[in-house]
Amino acid sequence: MFNTRQNRFIPHTRVKICGITRPQDALVAAQLGVDAIGLVFYEKSPRVITVEQAQAIVRDLPPFVTVVGLFVNAKPPWVSHILSQVSLDSLQFHGEETPEYCATFGKPYIKALRMHPDLDIPLEAQRYTQASAILLDSYVPDVQGGTGVVFDWQRIPTHISKPLIIAGGLTPDNVSQVIATLRPYAVDVSGGVESAKGIKDATKMTAFMKGVSMSITYLMTKDISHSLPDEHGHFGTYGGCFVAETLMQPLEELRQAYEHYLQDSTFLAELNNDLHHFVGRPSPLYHATRWSEQLGGAQIYLKREDLNHTGAHKINNTVGQALLAKRMGKTRVIAETGAGQHGVATATVAARFGLKCVVYMGAKDIKRQAINVYRMRLLGAEVRAVESGSQTLKDALNEAMRDWVTHVDDTFYIIGTVAGPHPYPVMVRHFQAVIGRETRQQIKVLAGRLPDVLIACVGGGSNAIGLFYPFLEDRNIVIYGVEAAGEGIATGHHAAPLCAGKPGVLHGNRTYLMTDDNGQIIETHSISAGLDYPGVGPEHAWLKDNGRVQYVAITDQEALAAFHDLTKLEGIMPALESSHALAYCKKVAPTLSQDKIIIVNLSGRGDKDIHTVATLEGISL
Amino acid sequence: MNRLKLCFNQLREQQRAALIPYITAGDPTPTLTVPLMHALVSAGADIIELGIPFSDPMADGPVIQKASERALSAGTRLRDVLDMVKIFREQDQTTPIVLMGYLNPIEIMGYKTFVETAESVEVDGVLTVDLPPEEMAELGILLRSHNLAPIFLLAPTTTPERIKRICTQAHGYLYYVSLKGVTGSSHLNVAEVANKITEIRRYTHLPLGVGFGIKDASTAAQIATISDAVVVGSALVQRIADTPPAQILAVVPAFLRELRNAMDVPPRTMG
Repeated sequence: MFNTRQNRFIPHTRVKICGITRPQDALVAAQLGVDAIGLVFYEKSPRVITVEQAQAIVRDLPPFVTVVGLFVNAKPPWVSHILSQVSLDSLQFHGEETPEYCATFGKPYIKALRMHPDLDIPLEAQRYTQASAILLDSYVPDVQGGTGVVFDWQRIPTHISKPLIIAGGLTPDNVSQVIATLRPYAVDVSGGVESAKGIKDATKMTAFMKGVSMSITYLMTKDISHSLPDEHGHFGTYGGCFVAETLMQPLEELRQAYEHYLQDSTFLAELNNDLHHFVGRPSPLYHATRWSEQLGGAQIYLKREDLNHTGAHKINNTVGQALLAKRMGKTRVIAETGAGQHGVATATVAARFGLKCVVYMGAKDIKRQAINVYRMRLLGAEVRAVESGSQTLKDALNEAMRDWVTHVDDTFYIIGTVAGPHPYPVMVRHFQAVIGRETRQQIKVLAGRLPDVLIACVGGGSNAIGLFYPFLEDRNIVIYGVEAAGEGIATGHHAAPLCAGKPGVLHGNRTYLMTDDNGQIIETHSISAGLDYPGVGPEHAWLKDNGRVQYVAITDQEALAAFHDLTKLEGIMPALESSHALAYCKKVAPTLSQDKIIIVNLSGRGDKDIHTVATLEGISL
Repeated sequence: MNRLKLCFNQLREQQRAALIPYITAGDPTPTLTVPLMHALVSAGADIIELGIPFSDPMADGPVIQKASERALSAGTRLRDVLDMVKIFREQDQTTPIVLMGYLNPIEIMGYKTFVETAESVEVDGVLTVDLPPEEMAELGILLRSHNLAPIFLLAPTTTPERIKRICTQAHGYLYYVSLKGVTGSSHLNVAEVANKITEIRRYTHLPLGVGFGIKDASTAAQIATISDAVVVGSALVQRIADTPPAQILAVVPAFLRELRNAMDVPPRTMG
């Protein structure tokens, strides 16, 4: 069995350049260390060559480069004729050739399979029992953008009885990620390194080979995901500690306290006690049978963070940080909030532990989330309106930082997501990872195995990291983080820094941001206030770049539709944030067979959004 | 010799402290900035800290935040700020200019383009508020190799070990943040500042500036007796905000002149 994806040793990924028509291109390829070249003997291909051309190419080729001849439904005498004239090491069949046909020429052969929706890869690999490798062409003509390719990859099983060659749509830019994600035996490129059909470009071939060698770095960093961040909070180039000098020492004290109490059994016992009796953990893992049936594909399970006390995952983190604040002798906690969920969760634990509480909230959000504002006030918190900037979550975060820097002696800043300066991203991940740890155990009991797909929405990304983190090492599980596409990525009115932003520095960490060409932060838009943020946790930035998690985006309308679906079909009203994850699940589930398992993090309940939904639908309550 | 060093050497000989006004470039309009810089120099500024406007100035109080907002809505970009320095240099070859701001605009422009342009328009130092020495390796090297002094902040919370470490990397001068808070706060305690300054002097011979919370002539005069430079930002920027644009070039330098006079008379007694 070939199982390179689980292999700790990182093997060299072989490279074949296909459709060579000129001896000079073959020579450049050989010099760059390409392992094989492909010669096309299919008359309908623009890259087809004559026997004479083939002979010229082979004659000039240095040793140790495999020459592969490519055929499509060719008559056997034609294949034999070529074999008698050109010194080929291997054959490659791209048509509907049978196993018997392929085996008649006495040469090693590769069987190419196009990724039709109903193609059963393991079965085909078994059928071509004598094939030396299976080549998968992952190109899907009717699907735009990267999504089609991603779906194809997901269909590739981990255990295939043959070496796997990936072809179709490979370029110097994507080859690292393809190798890191799929760990194939070899990659096969043609158009991606050409300046014109059949004319290979030396610069592009060089870039492609560089991409292949870079994938080693990707693979190595993937293998050490559990040891990140480093001691200064870096996830690769992301994360870190980008704050003014005044906060450096307080952050260092926080890091020391956090690391100390993580080892303290009394602290951990207290935390677990509150998670159980105060928050109500473990939260259920619920099999959404009616929704699964309606979508007609994979089985969908929902991790019910909406059933936590205060109605969202946020409280997992605020309980942890408030306990830490107490241990550090702080008497006052502050927080920023967007939708108000983190504000409510902070006000709640402040009441629970007898701490003074101030919550900063953008003036716009205060209007959008009147009920949560009143909830916080009922809980004894002071809610301060932030009038600066865009008057939303990012400005609330700025203002909370300003408060902290001014009252750093008695105040603990409870950040609500896996962003901010070190140690916040790692600390919040730790407190939220209870979601994923429970899910692992629960799905094993319910389904007898781990899931195939995980989906969670990503604003700052704490519910997503909480679910994903304990599964990152399970390479077979496909993971999707769903950002807010707002009115559509193309309109610019969205909150999808991973899908459409670029790396920069904001709020204490380097990460993907919504920033203009002059480095100013752009205002975001999402139907859901909790996703309406121009940055994202640095670990997500890192997981995007190394390909472990696929980041996608869902529009306001799609989220709203999913909100209604789940409410009507399962009797569960999801938060608009979580509805983004559900909407993506709606797209994935039908493409998978019924024995597949998808887990969606239902990060919060939708009661807080009733007014938003009603207003959007023109109903006044 | 570079301008910052020359400037502080001269001041040391004259036993005077430097007066460093901060203004946000482009506030209230880009056209006013260069004339204002010249007017500030005439009113007694020794060095100018020119703020790069940023949408999310986390370490600044409301006064400088609003200045950023005014400058941004007037369309000021980092490249415009660099252009302003270029135009300023056409008439003033001696006054050191320190750019002060947040990392993201510099990061998006690209470190290399930024330092090359800053060097060519003759900027003298760069203070990136949200870039502590721990994260500065790459930009720090680039700045130094392009004759730009990386200016570092020290704070009341900075431990002796950190002071020591930062002093070994610092160039030009050190900027001591006088209080725990944002720019323009009002709790500056002169005695506390003096103690910390004495502590910092153990680790460095570089000039020490003090800023955050210096609002009036008498505080400026007090700080001038214990430090090498007085930085005034919010108090100045507030006057820009309060003054009709046509009068800014008269009113704002006049305020700086008050500080200058208070710092210089009575003459400084010790260095």
